[in-house]
Amino acid sequence: MPSEFTNTIKRYSRELTIFVVLLLIIAVFSVQNPMYLDLDNLLDILEQASINGFLAIGVTFAIITSGIDLSVGSVMAVSIVACGQLAVLNLPPPVVLVLGLLLGIVLGSLNGLLITKMKLQPFIATLGTNSILRGVAYLITGGWPVLNIPRPFRNLFQIEMLPNIRLYTVYLILAAIVLAFILKKTSIGTYIYAIGSNEEATRLSGINVDRYKIIAYAICGLMAAVAGMVMLAKLGTGEPTAGQGYELNAIAAAAIGGASLAGGKGSILGTVLGALTLSALKIGLVVIGMDTFYQYIATGLIIVVAAYFEVIQAKISHFLSRRAQK
Amino acid sequence: MDESIAVQFDKVSKFYPGVRALSDVSFSIRRGEVHALLGENGAGKSTLLNILHGVTQADEGEIHVLGRQASFANTTDALAAGIAKVHQEIHLVPQLTVGQNIALGYEPKKLIGIDFKEMYRHTDAILESLGCRFRGRDYLTGLSVGEMQMIVIAKALFHETKVISFDEPTASLSKAETDKLFDTIADLKRKGITMLYVSHKLDEVFQLADRASILRDGRYILTTEVAKTNKAELIRNMVGRDVSSYAVRTEPSRVRPEEVLRVENLCGDGFNDISFTLRRGEILGFSGLVGSKRTEVVRALFGADAAYSGKIIINGVPARIRSPEQGLAHGIGLLTENRKTQGFIPTFSNCDNMALAALRKFSRAKVVSGRDKRRNFDELSESVRLNIRNPDHLTQNLSGGNQQKVILAKWLASDVDVLIFDEPTKGVDVGAKSEIYALMERYVATGKSIILVSSELPEIIGMCDRALVMRNGRIVATLDRKDFSEETLLSYAMETHANAV
Repeated sequence: MPSEFTNTIKRYSRELTIFVVLLLIIAVFSVQNPMYLDLDNLLDILEQASINGFLAIGVTFAIITSGIDLSVGSVMAVSIVACGQLAVLNLPPPVVLVLGLLLGIVLGSLNGLLITKMKLQPFIATLGTNSILRGVAYLITGGWPVLNIPRPFRNLFQIEMLPNIRLYTVYLILAAIVLAFILKKTSIGTYIYAIGSNEEATRLSGINVDRYKIIAYAICGLMAAVAGMVMLAKLGTGEPTAGQGYELNAIAAAAIGGASLAGGKGSILGTVLGALTLSALKIGLVVIGMDTFYQYIATGLIIVVAAYFEVIQAKISHFLSRRAQK
Repeated sequence: MDESIAVQFDKVSKFYPGVRALSDVSFSIRRGEVHALLGENGAGKSTLLNILHGVTQADEGEIHVLGRQASFANTTDALAAGIAKVHQEIHLVPQLTVGQNIALGYEPKKLIGIDFKEMYRHTDAILESLGCRFRGRDYLTGLSVGEMQMIVIAKALFHETKVISFDEPTASLSKAETDKLFDTIADLKRKGITMLYVSHKLDEVFQLADRASILRDGRYILTTEVAKTNKAELIRNMVGRDVSSYAVRTEPSRVRPEEVLRVENLCGDGFNDISFTLRRGEILGFSGLVGSKRTEVVRALFGADAAYSGKIIINGVPARIRSPEQGLAHGIGLLTENRKTQGFIPTFSNCDNMALAALRKFSRAKVVSGRDKRRNFDELSESVRLNIRNPDHLTQNLSGGNQQKVILAKWLASDVDVLIFDEPTKGVDVGAKSEIYALMERYVATGKSIILVSSELPEIIGMCDRALVMRNGRIVATLDRKDFSEETLLSYAMETHANAV
């Protein structure tokens, strides 16, 4: 009988692996340039990972239902320009924040409705909304950026809690904890995993599959809106062009963290580690003075290797169980 | 090498995570015989076939086919070596003609493109030898399941096949189609083709096979001449103990007068005017041939598919059931015929699968209590006699019978009043079968009711208090237990009964 400990290791094997990879990346770059290991630099990795982190943990929900959300970059842009315009009207920052969150939920639910009620494939539905919402972002400002975002709104995200740790990093950690709890400990999370693994069996267990898919996309939209507000607060200006192509980095982080596009697999911890890995790699290449072109290659390699690792892991566990039976 | 041996298994072993699917299996199949392969579900029959056909590879041991060592990397290699398989499920491409389906991947070539003339000449010759009424240039439209199976057999013959294995070939065939298949098998035998026949139906084995080999728990038990044995002996060797494979009620029926369910003029996909009642404590059978739309009726009742019109009245109150969610809310549960694709969540453990339909019961403010879920597992795995009591074990890795028990436990957890069993013992081993029957009895003893859809007449006759017979989407008879007989049920089902509508 396997012990509790080995069971836990088995259950978190993917997360552990990514964690080891992350440590290896940090070790390799630190050897090249000891500056990399500075606390400031490590915190920079965390900070740089935050926007992608918000997007990625949201996208993880869509991926676990065996769907995808390609529209997060545009949802982010709409959130940036909409919240930016509200903020320059000098509305109280908490009001802007709440409206921004609602906007994310509405846009995410819209994706959910297209996918469930109109029965569109998630890839196509969100490819469509990605383009539509990008247009909406341009229309909101007439193509111009929103300038001079007032301090009070920016402070809502930007205040330094500890040296070099800003409020939005704390928000990311909180959001990750709450969403991980929802996924692992609530009936909503259980249904989302079940839908991704076998949708028909879930439906035939008397579960309203549409409702939980819409919830998954709503959470995804919500996180994209938060990512937008973080960017708005960070930069102090809101560009309708923001967030283009960000969906791919978000999906990459989730995939590295063990989310399977076939559905039913993935975790928030894995996705967060995936986002950190990408950011550690990016900063590391800068620190050792490598050409940024290599970033793309390195990111791609990490994705491919992580996916291949899954295959190897299955083979190893087959081999081990075979040995155990002899 | 012995010339009379077609296939020789030599200490074949195969391991899967957590399971030893085959260990040291050795036996041989003679040239030109029909050799039955028997065993409970999970005994290793499918694994052995898969290895023979190159779907998967043995971890240890060797297979010799016609004197040569054979280790096939894939099914194409196996076909090239003259070994073909007729699956339980039929996979054909509907956009292609019969001939194109038969020759798929191996079309005769001309200088440029396919030599259609030669292809159809060859396929027509095979179809003729099989006694088929259709030819290579026909499309699949309008062909019956039995005829499609003939195409699959033709496909096997297209490759100069020496050995054909059949995996539960009669599972979806009518009586007439089964007879036709048996004629074909006898014919193939006369042509010297060796056949390996896997079936849960022992009658077929006695009708067809020369010898039978039995596997149990991945081990080879024995090979016997079919003429020198009997059903009881075979079953005893399959299960390793004496078990009645037949459905028998051990307790007097406790049907109470209250109606829990009344259905009036229900119409839907392929069925019309379905009206019946179900009483508390009753087991109501749905008999009929495959294709008589029994599954469609019960799916509409549960809300899996929407009915077009008609009334469903539950405990005297009209109910609107348009989704499984509403079906469950009205106290109806459905064990689907298709366990693997509709019954459980493959990435979920037994504990999670059992809790899925009743998760609300185990959660407060949406937060699921792991302890409640675990207690549910402990209680239910005991009451359904689940063999593997590890809550973390994946349901996917269980045998068919145990998977069915997990699905049954899922519905028991959700406290439904009416449980619909659609072919509950299809592909389930003999031991688990009688356990499922016992569970059905205990369930109705608590004042709940069951609808049992079954194509196995002994199951209907043995288990039900009353039975409806369906034919072509309509109810053609309602019979009380005292009027049950295989002949009556079958004659209503097959349009031969004088009183039939």
